[in-house]
Amino acid sequence: MKAPPAHPSCTRLFEVEALRDGRLTGTEVTRFQSHVRSCSVCAQELSALQGLATALRSTVTQAEDELRVRRERTRLLAAFDASLMPSSKPSRRKLWFGALGGLAAALALALLLHPSRTVAPVAPAAPVAAAPDSVKVEASTATQWSRRVEASQETITIESGTLSIRVEHQHSQRRLLVLVPDGALEDIGTTFSVTVAAARTTHVEVQDGTVTLRLRDRPAITLLAGEAWSPAPAEATSGPSADAPPPDTRGHERTVRSVASARASSVPSSTPTLPPRSVALPDAAGDFRAAMAAFTRGDHALASSLFAAFLSQHPADSRSEDAAYLRVLTLQRAGDVSGMRKAASEYLERYPGGFRASEVKALSR
Amino acid sequence: MIARSSKSVERELLPTPDAEIMRHLAAGQLGALGELYDRYQAPLRSFLARATRDGHDVDDLLHAVFLAAAQSADRYDGRSSCRPWLIGIAAQLLRRRRQTFSRFVAMLSSFQATQQHSSDPRASLQSRTDVERALAQLSEPKRITVLMAEVEGLSCAEIADALAIPIGTVWTRLHAARRELRQALDAEGGSP
Repeated sequence: MKAPPAHPSCTRLFEVEALRDGRLTGTEVTRFQSHVRSCSVCAQELSALQGLATALRSTVTQAEDELRVRRERTRLLAAFDASLMPSSKPSRRKLWFGALGGLAAALALALLLHPSRTVAPVAPAAPVAAAPDSVKVEASTATQWSRRVEASQETITIESGTLSIRVEHQHSQRRLLVLVPDGALEDIGTTFSVTVAAARTTHVEVQDGTVTLRLRDRPAITLLAGEAWSPAPAEATSGPSADAPPPDTRGHERTVRSVASARASSVPSSTPTLPPRSVALPDAAGDFRAAMAAFTRGDHALASSLFAAFLSQHPADSRSEDAAYLRVLTLQRAGDVSGMRKAASEYLERYPGGFRASEVKALSR
Repeated sequence: MIARSSKSVERELLPTPDAEIMRHLAAGQLGALGELYDRYQAPLRSFLARATRDGHDVDDLLHAVFLAAAQSADRYDGRSSCRPWLIGIAAQLLRRRRQTFSRFVAMLSSFQATQQHSSDPRASLQSRTDVERALAQLSEPKRITVLMAEVEGLSCAEIADALAIPIGTVWTRLHAARRELRQALDAEGGSP
């Protein structure tokens, strides 16, 4: 791989680099390739440039450390998850409401006379707010809420009351975030409702699609169609009193119920069994995808079996923690309580500091 | 019966297209980011390791590339492979890092006019192969450009788009990088 000669013996030598960089057009390429076949200088230069590219590709980078890759993956997902969660710092508006306290009635009157751009008290007739695009919001009587539309995101903020929201994502690529006083919901193409009372989320129900619920001091919860979430009864009735002791996080019981769970729980499978398969899956990625496909279409019994098979066949794979967590989730959704607890304890034993450990602990109780 | 079952399994094994992953990522799905990472972390790590001289902060750069990709997923142009797009993000991050570092060095120099360059990065390159040493001696813009073209296989138009520079600048950098690499390898005494 010598440097090009200072005084090239072929006047077309410069075209070698032009060929590599795509600067020659159709007929020029053909003509120059024909020239190369009869010009040893250009042929040698072309070979030298190809050799240089091969040498660059062959430089060895540091070998992948599986543990490091896995640690970095977890760090990345945690950072992304955190970026989806709105700041827990109380907004100035909330502080304002808190300070005024007893003047709430006067404030409401002022808002009615001079409607704010950010808080839209809804008239008792429960109107349907026509969205500028495909997000339709229906508010119950006296619901306090507002919406903000930006280029890539639409934000709906609910202070109190109930909103029913329908999103048609085929008409809008805009991300929808619903801010509740104690966290946020992210919609992923769907119809759902959310109820807020006493500055807390008290009920979320998904009719269609998927919603991710992120409440402060709790792990994220993903709700699929037909599922609903409410806080544990003791927690729901306790108001945000300053004198009250801090909530016991052990009591933060996830109360996801599936509308279809009664059907599923009638014949729970306590031990995951791999269904008969006619071909062997070729790799870990394929196994994981197959399990995820079953999970996505709601075939929880099959999904839990496939995740179990994945864990036994690919215990060192970087997705095995995800698989262990999803296995717990699928068993829970299939109504297999004992199987779910066993899977949860296996997850915690294997990943005591895992990304989903707190949620799995809550599920295993 | 068996044939139908095989087809059904095969359908499930088809890899999720990158464009679909990006749609899910734009919707904020955590799993999509995990899948994107599993698919492209290795080639991106290699690119970053080659593009940086020391390779010490490759993990942080890789982290930043994927976070930036997640945050701009809604602007993904829908092409079948994310790889050139991710390489472009990585190159942009490297450029910003270099600019920040240059400002930092300029600030230090203004405080200490007689600063001695006591640490020549080339001194730490002795243990590398000839090609690695030659590559490390290129300026970062030339090194990134030649890696994008010769190792990652991006076209000059794709490189120009990713680095937001005229295509003529890409050709100039490539020509200069090749010439410097070959001269350095000649001086080392032969082929890699």
